[in-house]
Amino acid sequence: MEADREDAARLCRGDTSGLAGLMERHQGRLFRYLLRLLGDRSVAEDVFQQTWLTVAGRIRRYDASRPFLPWLVTVARNLALDQLRRRQLDSLDEADEPVAPPSGSDPFERALARQSAARVEAALAALSPLDREVLTLRFEDELALPELATTLGVPLPTAKARLYRALERLRGKLLAPAAGRTP
Amino acid sequence: MNAHVTELLALAAAGALDRADAERVVAHLGECAACAARADEWRELADALRRLPAPRLEPALAARTREALEAALAERAERAFNRAALAFVVGLAWTLAIVGWLLFDLVAGELALRLARPIGSLAAWYASYLLAGWLAAGAAAVLLGRRAQEQEGRTV
Repeated sequence: MEADREDAARLCRGDTSGLAGLMERHQGRLFRYLLRLLGDRSVAEDVFQQTWLTVAGRIRRYDASRPFLPWLVTVARNLALDQLRRRQLDSLDEADEPVAPPSGSDPFERALARQSAARVEAALAALSPLDREVLTLRFEDELALPELATTLGVPLPTAKARLYRALERLRGKLLAPAAGRTP
Repeated sequence: MNAHVTELLALAAAGALDRADAERVVAHLGECAACAARADEWRELADALRRLPAPRLEPALAARTREALEAALAERAERAFNRAALAFVVGLAWTLAIVGWLLFDLVAGELALRLARPIGSLAAWYASYLLAGWLAAGAAAVLLGRRAQEQEGRTV
């Protein structure tokens, strides 16, 4: 965080070495977040570039007493949601989708036994952008719940509820093919 | 046995429970095999999410982004310099105008004395001088601006 603060201060002064440091530390996580949220590599690449350009333009608005990553993700999120709205790729929130298939630990156990990274990734890709977003922020970026809520721009209980629903839907996606094959 | 905590298990695996709920879950799992098994499933899913391979960021994209950023920062710096230069030039012009008035007053008074005849309204002379100066500066600014635009057009 100290390094982020110093680099942000450099960037405020127009020193591009600050930018190099910030990019070096956060570009991988930013790109993963955008790819998960947008679900399309070329769109994610465009928004990745726009995000850094926006960051360079608005770096003076960054509060250096807070961690840099959630602020970066908030900037990226606004751009990505604009992009999703413009493209109308998908419904942002699949509220009508059943939360989970019929419960029962046996099929779930079987599904989990077969699960692999590719399988989880495929199930994740089948979720709505907002579900993918909350899961990647919590599990891949490891944002704490208050940071998650701030980044999503929602109160803490809402963030928790979104996380819960996203997990249930992911579980549902993982179970669905297994349930289909079960006699 | 406490009531089942099925609803809390997903959030427990995500590390998103407050302390009271987390303690309730731990207490319940110690005495309920069904919930303990379900908690293991959620933990496995959470671990799988944490272990997902990170998508590869193409080095070319990172390089392109860095170049675009450096160009944007350079443009911003140039705009800031231009604004400062313009403010300086405007300040200098007003200073010269005021100092010029004092000098003009002095010189014109001396000239009238030497010629021993009136040379007309000093204010009118000075206004003409200022007007000519500003028109010349404006024409120079327009010509320089056009030249800069032509140069930009050639480089794009």
